[in-house]
Parts: sequence; C-alpha cells; structure tokens
Amino acid sequence: MITESKDYDIRYSTVQDIDFLRSWLKTKGMLHWFPPGNDQELENFVRVWIGFTRYNGCLTAVYEGKPVGMAVLFLMPYRKVAHYAMFQLIVDPDFQRKGIGYSLIRNLKHFAKQGFQLEVIHAEVLDVGPIIPLLEKLDFKQFARQEKYVKEEGKYYPRILMECVLGN
Amino acid sequence: MEIEISQVKDGELFKKILLQPDVLQYFPMYDVREVEDSVRVWEIFCKRGASITALDEGKPCGMAFLNLQGYKKFAHQCLITILVDQDHRNKGIGTKLLEELFKLAKQPFGMEMLHLEVYEGNPAIHLYERMGFKEYGVQKMFIKEDDRYIGKILMERDI
Repeated sequence: MITESKDYDIRYSTVQDIDFLRSWLKTKGMLHWFPPGNDQELENFVRVWIGFTRYNGCLTAVYEGKPVGMAVLFLMPYRKVAHYAMFQLIVDPDFQRKGIGYSLIRNLKHFAKQGFQLEVIHAEVLDVGPIIPLLEKLDFKQFARQEKYVKEEGKYYPRILMECVLGN
Repeated sequence: MEIEISQVKDGELFKKILLQPDVLQYFPMYDVREVEDSVRVWEIFCKRGASITALDEGKPCGMAFLNLQGYKKFAHQCLITILVDQDHRNKGIGTKLLEELFKLAKQPFGMEMLHLEVYEGNPAIHLYERMGFKEYGVQKMFIKEDDRYIGKILMERDI
C-alpha cells in the first residue's frame, strides 16, 4: 500500500497545490462527480477550495514529493452551525484505489475534530459512485437523497448526503 | 395584498423580520452581524430578479426568494427562503408568496424543482406540507445553541 510507504505523507495544502487540483478535475469524466460543468465554473470551484488554505482547512496527500490527493473542509461562517462542515475529496486519477481517499478522510476526521472542534462532517455525493462504500467504511451514514438534483445533458442524477458524527 | 419583484431597499425588511423576537431560532444566523451578512448574500439574488416582496396596503410585509445556484448542472433547481413579518402572519401571505415564487422559478428561471430547509419546531412546516413539499432527509445535529441540537428538515417539490 502506498499509504504505508515512507514516501507517503499528508500535509496542509498550499496555494501552489491548485495546479494539481485543477488538472485532476480536468481529467476525462472527473467533473461528473463535482459541481462544475465548464472551465469557468471549474476555476471558481478550485479558487474557493484553495481559499480554505488560509484557515488551514485543506489537506494534501503527497507521494514521493508529489501531491496525489486533496480534501477540504468548507467551514461554516455562522456560529450556530460552526460545529458542522461539508467536505470534498479528490484523488489523482492515476492513484485511485490505492487507499489514498481512505487515508485522507480518516485524517480529515481527526483534523476536523482536533483542529476545528467540529462535531459532524458531511459529504454531498453527486450520483451513485465508488465513494459511497468508502464513506460507509469510515462510519458515514446517508441522511438524505434527492433524485433530480443534478441535470447533465438532459439526464438527472441524484445527490446523496452522508454525514459522520465525530466520536469521543 | 400585492406581490412585486423585490428591490435592494427591501433588504431593510429582510433584516427587520429576521431580528424580530423568536425568528432567528429558525435560521442559522445568530446575531446582527450574521444577519447583515445574509442580507448581503440576498442582495445578489435580488439584483438578479430572484426575490419577491409582499405588500399589504403598500407596506412591505413579507419576502420570498430563490437562492440561485452557481453551477449550470444545478440550475434547474434551487433552495428557497421565505419570511413574513410577525404582524402579518396567518393572513395567507406565506401561501401567496410561495405561489408567486413557483411562477417566478418556472419563468424566467426555467426551474423544475424547489427545495427548502426548515428547523424542527418551526410552525411554517405546515405551510410547506400544504404547498406540496415532501421531506427527503433530516440533519439531526445541524443547529447547536446553548449545547442543544436542533434538526434541519429538508423538503422538496417539483413545480
């Protein structure tokens, strides 16, 4: 497993990681799983994501010195909901199915609780994909599903909302 | 009662209603600073013609708006918000606002589905049920106030 290698590490993301994030999102088929649908939306999306580096709200997985995955906590601006945050995850398409997503989310859960005193984190999964069994393995539970949330080229796809209560 | 497209100055009504006693318990905002922040977000929707204001004898008394989505693949649906002044409740204003908001969502915005978020204990849930919204999920620990959690009920309907 890459994640057990001495050449694997997880660090805070930096603004420079934006180029990797952008290139992964531009991989064929990747945008189906994310909100943006074109280049302009993609640029807005990566800028919002990388903007959370200023709060140390993003993690980057690095293998042999190169970023191979990222996760971000979208921290909430209002006090009554500050214990709650949504997150996003992406893994370099060349490094998928190697435990990096699992490792990033496991670290994100710890980091969310210890670093930000979060109590619940949740994911918005667009369409039924391989991330669902991964999230279930990490104690996420589905709490909502909207069948027609996404519309791409006239076809509808669901939004599945899953959350994890960060234990003691 | 009349319904018209909101103007930016109606942000004052938005702020006034949110700051009325017991209203903020049904919204994520906590204080004046957070309310003012939400008014600034509303202005973006207002300037795009996505907000309507109810007037009773010429006086603004309620609002409803579409929280327009920033992504094309979500543009056929959106979250809505509705607010009625406390002195004008139980007069059918919420119903009228929702009926008009459905029309606005369809034309010119071309929407097919609307959804909303309502906190547990908010009596407005009866209005939403009556207007055809169906629950599709609950976030049980969404609000935390004085170490107490209040759930957020998620509802949607096709239009």
